[in-house]
Amino acid sequence: MSILAFFFIVVSLLSFVVAQLVLKRAMEVSATSGLRNSRFLSLIAIGTALMTVSFFLTLGLLQRFDLSYLYPFQGLSVIFITLTAAVVLKEKLSLRLIVGAVLISAGIVLVSMS
Amino acid sequence: MTNDRKKQMQDRPSGFGNPWLQLALSVACVLVSEFLLKRGATEVANTDSAWSWTGVNGLASPLVWWAILLIIASFISWLYVLRYIPITIAFPLSRVVDILVPLGCWIFLGELISPLRWCGIALVIIGLALVAKPIAQIEERL
Repeated sequence: MSILAFFFIVVSLLSFVVAQLVLKRAMEVSATSGLRNSRFLSLIAIGTALMTVSFFLTLGLLQRFDLSYLYPFQGLSVIFITLTAAVVLKEKLSLRLIVGAVLISAGIVLVSMS
Repeated sequence: MTNDRKKQMQDRPSGFGNPWLQLALSVACVLVSEFLLKRGATEVANTDSAWSWTGVNGLASPLVWWAILLIIASFISWLYVLRYIPITIAFPLSRVVDILVPLGCWIFLGELISPLRWCGIALVIIGLALVAKPIAQIEERL
């Protein structure tokens, strides 16, 4: 796999994960201050835009690689979320989370070599 | 689990509104949309052009449009599911799709999956199964 392909895979996943978190924040804002406020609308717009970016990059990747090759890379999103939680929530990660993340990483390395 | 939660889970609608049925439908929609996207992308693949990395040319395939409809449907039923089933239960269950997609690639798409790739896929699935619950908990707080 080329560096370019790996770059697009990572960008596609990152924008998907960030979009999820932004949309979730939008829902929280709407629960407290309703749907007709600029903060809610801008969060929805950013989240949707990021989802769209992720969708089209995936569509570009699917033209070049097997689905069985690309799909396991979605496990990377777990790694992103784990790292974000460690940094943002300043949490001690549980052993279970660390073992899972290591297994996923090892699996992705094997898939990328195949 | 709080009493409110328990009550909420006991008051589940039946029939088409049954949240477990909706969860299954949501997973099925995700699964089929993945295969449609792959088929659609292959149909219009134009790997000589650098522009095709943007994937926009994929819109020329009707299969991609069907996939978009299914993605929207899965999203709506997922939101419905979350009204009745706690995310720490629904999310790990929904990840059954991680097993079904590689199997479907092999059975329906006829992709040749080497033993090395199967091993990698298996490790990813085991890892995802381990972290599904803690990840759902973390996502609730992020």
